[in-house]
Amino acid sequence: MSSDALRLSGVSKAYGRVRALENMSFNVAEGRFFVLFGPSSVGKTTTLRTIAGLVPPDQGRVEIFGKDWTHEPIKGRGVSMVFQSFALYPHLSVFENFAYPLREEGIVSEEIKRRVMETATMLKLAHKVDRKPGTLSGGEQQRVALGRSLVRRPKILLLDEPLTNLDAKLRHDMRAELKRLHRQFGLTIVYATPDELEALSMGEEIAVMRDGAVVQRGTPDELYENPADTYVAGKIGAPHMNMIAAKVSKDGKSIDTPLGKFSGKQNLKTASGEKALMGIRPSDIELAGNSKSAIKSRVHLLEPLGDVTVVSVESGGETLRLVLPESKAQGLKPGDHTGITFDTNKIHIFRASSGQAIA
Amino acid sequence: MANSTSILEWLGFRKASGVTEAGWGHTLLVGIVSFIYFLPVLFIIFTAIKPQDLALSVPPTISPTSLFGLIPDQYVFTPTLENFGSVFSRVMTPGGSPEATGFDRFFFFFIFISSVSVLLALVIGTFAAYGFSRYPLKGNDTYLFIILTTRMLPAIVIVIPVILMFRVTGLSGSYLGITLLYTAFNLAFTIWMMKSFFDELSTDVEDAARIDGSSEAKVFLKICLPQVVAGLAATFVFGLILTWNEFLFALLLSNADTRTVPVAMNQAVSSGGRGTDWTLLASIETLFLIPVFLVTFFLQNHLLRGVTFGTVKR
Repeated sequence: MSSDALRLSGVSKAYGRVRALENMSFNVAEGRFFVLFGPSSVGKTTTLRTIAGLVPPDQGRVEIFGKDWTHEPIKGRGVSMVFQSFALYPHLSVFENFAYPLREEGIVSEEIKRRVMETATMLKLAHKVDRKPGTLSGGEQQRVALGRSLVRRPKILLLDEPLTNLDAKLRHDMRAELKRLHRQFGLTIVYATPDELEALSMGEEIAVMRDGAVVQRGTPDELYENPADTYVAGKIGAPHMNMIAAKVSKDGKSIDTPLGKFSGKQNLKTASGEKALMGIRPSDIELAGNSKSAIKSRVHLLEPLGDVTVVSVESGGETLRLVLPESKAQGLKPGDHTGITFDTNKIHIFRASSGQAIA
Repeated sequence: MANSTSILEWLGFRKASGVTEAGWGHTLLVGIVSFIYFLPVLFIIFTAIKPQDLALSVPPTISPTSLFGLIPDQYVFTPTLENFGSVFSRVMTPGGSPEATGFDRFFFFFIFISSVSVLLALVIGTFAAYGFSRYPLKGNDTYLFIILTTRMLPAIVIVIPVILMFRVTGLSGSYLGITLLYTAFNLAFTIWMMKSFFDELSTDVEDAARIDGSSEAKVFLKICLPQVVAGLAATFVFGLILTWNEFLFALLLSNADTRTVPVAMNQAVSSGGRGTDWTLLASIETLFLIPVFLVTFFLQNHLLRGVTFGTVKR
């Protein structure tokens, strides 16, 4: 697999007694937009810092384009990084911020000027190159941080929650901007984020992290369709997957829930008689009026979100959420009785003991 | 709320709302307080330019001008620069001719000693502070505490061992000795001040420089140091003021040729057996104020400026 831009194998790192990374392994193909997704303090930043060489790992290997860089110095990796705090050089102008990495590479000043202005123009900062970072808006500072990383044409770009410090509108614009830059340069990007929307909308491949290790990796669709366990199921998809306590029948052919007996596409033989959880996505549940096959339920709460409405219903003692197009939710009131239904092929079944999905 | 006018607002106190120009009420209040603070300095300067016989006159003369008839004539004195002349040369023995007092030399050497010791402490202390801040040792806080003890204990406690050490090393009465002593004193204070400035810096910025290819030396020189320029200026000024005002050690460790200005000042006004010459003292003090005043004046922008300029979102 020589086409891997980056490969981490068995990387562990502890800060004192706090274990930041535990046997972390993943590889990123060249040119891929790779997202590390997980809540804060899960080890995303430590992973990026290990790749950049700022943090020496206690164990494991870091390979960049096939070369072992684990204990090599930072310089020469061809890796650049955008920090969550932007980390601009506050005493230098925008021009000098851009020029800094080029000067460190010993590039001649005409070439520096050309490349800085080219990058500044691309990021619409050409008219602000004489300003100090402190006088720029948040979005502009973000673009300076990005520009400083791009100007030296890195082989791998690391982005550590780069949009966290921006307001909602800017965040949306920057998501599109980053995708465009990725396409334009064909860069390998490793992007850390706790934001599910960012992960799903930008990542070509996502690694879901938990306690310093990768729990599951795949395309956004794979993670959405086939979450490996309840953790991933709970993290990917909004509103979150409905989880219903259940039990696999003795014969292993169906699953008993307070809503009824269901059998999906899973092979439940290995879990017969075990306690389990049945998961169903809110968008996979539909209203079924009063048809006989429908599951009886009562409307509990309505949350209109513009074009869709999140409806909470109670059925068999469980609360379920479903996402309905606004047109279908019209006329529903809390307290209404209504039937719901779902395609049993869409259900997910997890072992109650380990949380692992049953395929 | 917006339409009601309180008494304070009517008096010219504008409500604080972000960075707005203050109302005239605030300005006046600050002006009065500032004047009260400045009054002793003004008193010294006026005394320095009074004729000698009016220094202790009753009623006191308080102004060199009548302010267009505002101040009655009996409170007004005619300003003179004669006292400044006698700082450098005056009649030392009754009936004798004017002699040089050596104050030109005292001033020159004291400015030299103070600047060198403060700058030396700043250079060494900044390196040390960066080390303490970025590469903490085991027991970092203990070392910092020990460094501070020289400034924490009353000077009188330290003075005896210092005198003994100076006697043994033969540094007593030399400018070199005083310079080294002041450097040592300033170091403690410099290390603590500069460490707090370095602690304030975002380490992300330094990591960014490392990723951009900088060595540790360059991170310090090109990234960290320029960000603490305001801190360097502030530390320099405070160190200079501390050194400039030091009296006890200079008194005990200098001799007749190597006096610092505060010591020489003391000797000048108390010698001669004619009681205290107040106008002479005031003149020396006025000259004594000038160097520190100038340094503070030219560095005031740095003293006021924030340290990190708000480029790092926290």
